Amino acid sequence: MTEAYNVLYTISLVVIGVLLLACLIRAIRGPRIADRVIAINMMGTLIVITICILSFLMNEGYLVDIAMIYTMLSFLAVVLLTKVYMGIYREKHRREEEKKHA
Amino acid sequence: MLDIIRFILAAVLTAGGLFCLLSGVVGVYKFRYALSRVHAAALLDTVGILLMLLGVIIATGFTVASAKMLVVIAFLWLTSPVSGHLIGRMEVTINDELDKDAEVLDKAYVEHEKEPEAAVQSPAEASESTASAEEEEVQ
Repeated sequence: MTEAYNVLYTISLVVIGVLLLACLIRAIRGPRIADRVIAINMMGTLIVITICILSFLMNEGYLVDIAMIYTMLSFLAVVLLTKVYMGIYREKHRREEEKKHA
Repeated sequence: MLDIIRFILAAVLTAGGLFCLLSGVVGVYKFRYALSRVHAAALLDTVGILLMLLGVIIATGFTVASAKMLVVIAFLWLTSPVSGHLIGRMEVTINDELDKDAEVLDKAYVEHEKEPEAAVQSPAEASESTASAEEEEVQ
């Protein structure tokens, strides 16, 4: 039975690895900032699934804690990135408006 | 016998999860614009992780680790809509040529997102807010 589980989850790990590479290519190619943030978010989800599968395969319960922390961190990364890019854009917009009026 | 049923259940859930993950990634490549791609990415965050982790939970049995996996699913279900909304808002705010990429229905909202302070003081916004305040008083 253990061997059957090993085969099943090894195959799914390989598939998830290929999908991770595809997400990485999307993150590099862009073309917009939003595409990159979406791809990074998807990669975070895939990595959480990978960690949970590894915790089952290696029989180590503590790896799930790392998955929990990874979820929170990837959410925080998305929130921060969007806030930073919106702040930069608004600052640039405001400066251009001031230049036009001056 | 029970072991075999458990394995089949886990295998079916994992296969469904892998299909959802695959269709999410294919969707990100198929759609043309970032705001449509958010839609494909949400599939991965909700159904994909639910099916995959349910498969792992059934394979593990009822332990502390599987309870933590349920917490991971619940947390992702709470945060994935928020991050999708934030990404969409960022795209609407920083894209200067939104008309070319997507159909814009509410132009006032886009302007409000671009400069929130200025839009609040505009006359249309102010009259709207007083109107709603009057309605509240009537009620």
